[in-house]
Amino acid sequence: MDVFLPIAEVSVNIIAIFSLSGIVGVLSGLFGVGGGFLMTPFLIFLGVPATYAVANEANNILATSVSGSTTHYLKNTLDYKMGLMIVVGGVFGTLLGIWTFTYFKGIGKIDIVISLAYMYILAIIGTAMLVEGLGEIDKARKKIITKKKLHVHYWIHGLPLRMRFPKSKLYESAFTPIIIGLIVGFIAAIMGIGGAFILVPAMIYIIGMPTRLIPGTSLFVTIFVSVIVTFLHAFNYGSIDLVLVAMLVLGSIVGVQLGQKLGESVDSTEIKTLLAVLLLLVGIAIAYDTFFTEHTVSEINKIDVNDLNPLSMFIKKLSAEMPILYGLFSIIFAVSLGVGAAFIRKLISNLRKKYSLKKLK
Amino acid sequence: MHYLLKKLPSEIKNNKLKTGIFLGLSAYWGLILIGTFLNLN
Repeated sequence: MDVFLPIAEVSVNIIAIFSLSGIVGVLSGLFGVGGGFLMTPFLIFLGVPATYAVANEANNILATSVSGSTTHYLKNTLDYKMGLMIVVGGVFGTLLGIWTFTYFKGIGKIDIVISLAYMYILAIIGTAMLVEGLGEIDKARKKIITKKKLHVHYWIHGLPLRMRFPKSKLYESAFTPIIIGLIVGFIAAIMGIGGAFILVPAMIYIIGMPTRLIPGTSLFVTIFVSVIVTFLHAFNYGSIDLVLVAMLVLGSIVGVQLGQKLGESVDSTEIKTLLAVLLLLVGIAIAYDTFFTEHTVSEINKIDVNDLNPLSMFIKKLSAEMPILYGLFSIIFAVSLGVGAAFIRKLISNLRKKYSLKKLK
Repeated sequence: MHYLLKKLPSEIKNNKLKTGIFLGLSAYWGLILIGTFLNLN
């Protein structure tokens, strides 16, 4: 069952998109990562051009991070002050990333840059996760318990402009979160990812935040970074396709909720090793596609706007004639779906609690 | 061959899984680095 994407101008299989975004959503919920680094390559494999895959996945990440962040807001596990400091760096990083994206798009090398960036990121994360996962399994078998240091001090902690972060109970330089935000924003803009796989380890090992505040704060930062990335992609390149975004958001929101539920009852150490192997396999598939597949210039069938259905026609016209309004609409659309999903989850959870209390009585 | 195997540290011989993963990862990284080099030239 194929659906035509009016902006990307390609047809995709609706079941494939739903199932893949659902599976990636489950993995995201299970491991607390955004999943963009898996979904964007999958979209490219499904035939969506890289520039469109990056932009639309950023819009999807906006919806899932709003959903997750609202859940953490309701649980009061979010450090706004630290999050806003990371966002300050993130804004500059994103602008720098979009500028770099424009440069490579201008010289016609953007597809190869995105493929290489994904290949290396997947190889690095896959290798690190595989080594860590095997180490943990090894330690568990030998019953070795390692004591960790309470705080490790790096050069970055000695920078000026120190301030207090009461919620995280930290007193450190504002430049630490700003520099981390800069790196995350830059990568997010080029690759269409949330950057949680960089942000989360940086928050734990460099900033030294309490673990319970990390997922919420990371998702809070991702909201701002993905808003900027979505808006700039919509405004500069008109590459946001609301039909694709709707399919991605619905699949991943359901998947994330399932993954979070599954994570409560499953030991993730061994699955982590399997995820590492999956990342390495996706990396090798991208390497094969980049190095060995003959890339022929596909003929673009120019589609007459009048041949499209009314919804596609409206999306195409809005994107071309009012890019600012279209960008804002994409953001509001993703935010509403994200908030809606979080409240539905809260409602279901309350109903279940009520039902189980009634059962006990 | 027999001489080489004798020379290998006993730890490697005892832990075939770790050695396999190490060799696999080395081959993986070798492939993507060489591929990138050839692609960019």
